[in-house]
Amino acid sequence: MTTLLEVRQVGKTFRSGGLFGRHVVRAVDGVDFALASERPEVFTIIGESGSGKSTLARMILNSTSPDGGSILFRGRDLATIRSRRDRLAFMAEVQPVFQNPFEAFNPLKRVDRYLFMGARRFCGARTRDEVEARADAALRKVGLSLAEVRGRFPHEMSGGQLQRVAIARALVPEPALVVADEPVSMIDASLRMTIVNMFRTLRDAFGVSIIYITHDLATAYTISDRLIIMEKGRVVESGPARAVLDAPSHPYSIRLLQAVLPVGNAWRDERPAEPRPQPAA
Amino acid sequence: MTPAPLPTRRPSPAAAPLLEVSDLKAYYQMRFFGVTREVRAVDDVTFAVRRNEIYGLAGESSSGKTTLIKTIARAIRPPLNVVGGSVTFDFQDGRRDVYAMTPAQVDAIRWSRLSYVSQGSMNVLNPVRRIRSSFVDFAARHIGGTRQAFFAAVAAHLRRLSLDPKVLDAYPHELSGGMRQRLTIALATICRPEFVIADEPTTALDVIVQKGVLAMLREIQQEIGSSILFVTHDMAVHANLTDRLGIMYAGRLVEEGPTTEIFRRPFHPYTANLISSLPRIGDDVRRSGLPGAPPNLADPPSGCRFHPRCPLAVPRCREAVPPLEELEPGHRVACHVAKARATGAALS
Amino acid sequence: MRILAILRDLLRYNIEFAAGLVLVGLVAVMALLSFASPYPALDVYVVPPDVPPSWDYFLGTTSRGQDVFWQLTVAIRNTLTFGLVVAALSRIIALVVGLVAGYKGGWVDRVLMSINDTFVVIPLFPILVLFYFIMRDAMSWAMLALITAALGWAYDARLIRAMAMSLRTREFTRQAYFSGASTGRILVQEHLPFVLPIVFSTTMNNINWSIGIEVTLSVLGFTDINTPTIGGMIYWANQHTALVAGVWWWIAFPVALVVMLFVGLFLLAISMNEYIDPRSRLARMGGGA
Repeated sequence: MTTLLEVRQVGKTFRSGGLFGRHVVRAVDGVDFALASERPEVFTIIGESGSGKSTLARMILNSTSPDGGSILFRGRDLATIRSRRDRLAFMAEVQPVFQNPFEAFNPLKRVDRYLFMGARRFCGARTRDEVEARADAALRKVGLSLAEVRGRFPHEMSGGQLQRVAIARALVPEPALVVADEPVSMIDASLRMTIVNMFRTLRDAFGVSIIYITHDLATAYTISDRLIIMEKGRVVESGPARAVLDAPSHPYSIRLLQAVLPVGNAWRDERPAEPRPQPAA
Repeated sequence: MTPAPLPTRRPSPAAAPLLEVSDLKAYYQMRFFGVTREVRAVDDVTFAVRRNEIYGLAGESSSGKTTLIKTIARAIRPPLNVVGGSVTFDFQDGRRDVYAMTPAQVDAIRWSRLSYVSQGSMNVLNPVRRIRSSFVDFAARHIGGTRQAFFAAVAAHLRRLSLDPKVLDAYPHELSGGMRQRLTIALATICRPEFVIADEPTTALDVIVQKGVLAMLREIQQEIGSSILFVTHDMAVHANLTDRLGIMYAGRLVEEGPTTEIFRRPFHPYTANLISSLPRIGDDVRRSGLPGAPPNLADPPSGCRFHPRCPLAVPRCREAVPPLEELEPGHRVACHVAKARATGAALS
Repeated sequence: MRILAILRDLLRYNIEFAAGLVLVGLVAVMALLSFASPYPALDVYVVPPDVPPSWDYFLGTTSRGQDVFWQLTVAIRNTLTFGLVVAALSRIIALVVGLVAGYKGGWVDRVLMSINDTFVVIPLFPILVLFYFIMRDAMSWAMLALITAALGWAYDARLIRAMAMSLRTREFTRQAYFSGASTGRILVQEHLPFVLPIVFSTTMNNINWSIGIEVTLSVLGFTDINTPTIGGMIYWANQHTALVAGVWWWIAFPVALVVMLFVGLFLLAISMNEYIDPRSRLARMGGGA
């Protein structure tokens, strides 16, 4: 089994408080998992704010480097990627999708630019036709087309469409791995499932592995293959997604699941009164 | 997995409504360099909130719900203008038309009768002063009395809400987001207002913290007996908190009714899709979203604004705006097709 | 075609822009007329001296026997050229320093800002006067322009850096980075459109400032006063005690023309600024409502 991504005992510490570094925060502590390359999967990282999931994402994307442990992509330690050529080669394989689709595009420029940029940079496309063909191919994978998107500005499009264009941009170099950090949390509910389902298609039809970072357990339940739950930088539970979410064992996981508001139970008259809540921490 | 239980509550439908919004229209009207744009953010909205009830407003971004509550709280400025309709409160000391009052009168009812909880707690709490000074700034003039008496009242209020009065001495940045939001709610309710508007107060919070904040809101509502107008796009929150629910789409109210009824049997296709597209833990059903996107309010579709995305659309939907009508007692819907099905009438 | 449409919009709806354009236009016309001057600019005693404004000599003549009108056209041309050159040079330096410092951060930022702050603190006039005394006749206009430009970029570089810092944290910068854009591309293509409004208004400011420096230096005699400039004209007028002698037109018209230029540039700056501000652009395009 060849590994696509190997995260080995990765840790990251932040110091704050001036020259003497009084305050030390272990944002990520001892995280360890691996993704295989033969079988693309949706690997979910669940955590609330402060859990370290975004820091972990940045380390996987090589935007920042771990203080402890190492991350290997296709057997190569990310710390050895220094030259611009190596960096570009890595970016061609690992691409991000960010949380805020509105901010992801320069409001003064048209959205197709980034697609063309990526096509020229990563795919070696030279002529205009080649560039546009690549962009169009990527857009079709997310259910759009270049004709629809060409020449449009970000404010002319909805959050869901923008996020789909952002995902298409990430797909232009045909990466092996997409790291999606809260990709649907700022999208309207009626458009959310379209994008979540699209991740499933990316995995099944196009063989892209996806690291899906979220705090929304419901969407995680729908599409994840495996997942890990992070609390304050450490992994508290991991395993096959359905198994973990149907029957969590760690107390934090249990609290997390209990806090999820059920939708089907709108018949509230039949329930007993809630006991008085404990004093807040 | 246990469902979140709720205390029972009995809103009184017979008494006069606390808030009446009639045919409210609020548009952004902008002109620059010869370009005129009119964005119909709130277009002909009519609804009422009763005493002692939690009324939810659901809808996505650009549905107009935030503009609507800002208009209700008279917190809007040009280029957003009220173009028609009225907003009337029936407080204990008399009926008030929000837009007929002078700014001084509006200030007087703010916080004492009508208060506002917003999404960012840092919009309310002064970051460079301790929490106690925010309480003084907002509430002291309404509660009066000596400093000591005032802080005793504040401490008592906090204790009732399961908050430790020691937090008064902290700075906002020393507290977690959830704690700040709870304090914001305590601050908004200390004068025991009759009406509380809550604009996505839990949206930025983690699930565990959200649960605590919602519980606190329920507590307060029970204790003070105020009405809450709760705005959020999160349908799960509505299902677990509100008594009645109004669904907004593209600046219009498209469905309204008791929350249990709306979830049990949504009439409007948009509502139906909103509810059915929610993924749930524990079930394997494939859920899907709606095609298309919410319309541009500067140039909305003719007739029913939902018709371009609606799976049930017929030609009539493009021609005529469906009126918001009662199809079942207490359950109003604005949809030609739903009405035809409910009444058995033919669809012209 | 878009530029024409923009100009048309501005002219129609913005009175400041129209007024500014008129004023600056007049000054520009004057400067261009200098090429039609019948008298060589440096010659003296070509016309009867001290003649008040009349039909023969439109703006009068100076005590040195020059036609004020034609002298003025050359003077304003030189002064304007000086101002434009200094503004252009210092904008380029300010942009490069500001964008790079803001985007890169870290030690690059620290080094650049230390240099920047040094230049901010340097007292302008004493240094310029010092240079003059050291270089005397070797102080050509080109030299002066270079030195003034070198002293005029520091303030604005900080402004630009602040903008660059905030742009760096915006999400679309990350997106461009992950699309393979190099630092240069990001700065020029993504960030520059946001930074340009500031650059534009500081340009107007800078032109005014550098012209002010030139005038002041020339009035004091610290420049090559044989080349006619606005300040030079005032210098010679003072040398010939023009106001005492009653030759008011020698001073009044240069001053009036340069004030027209200042006011015109100012009006242009404030009217264009509102127009190219990204927020107002967005609002006009349809976003941000």
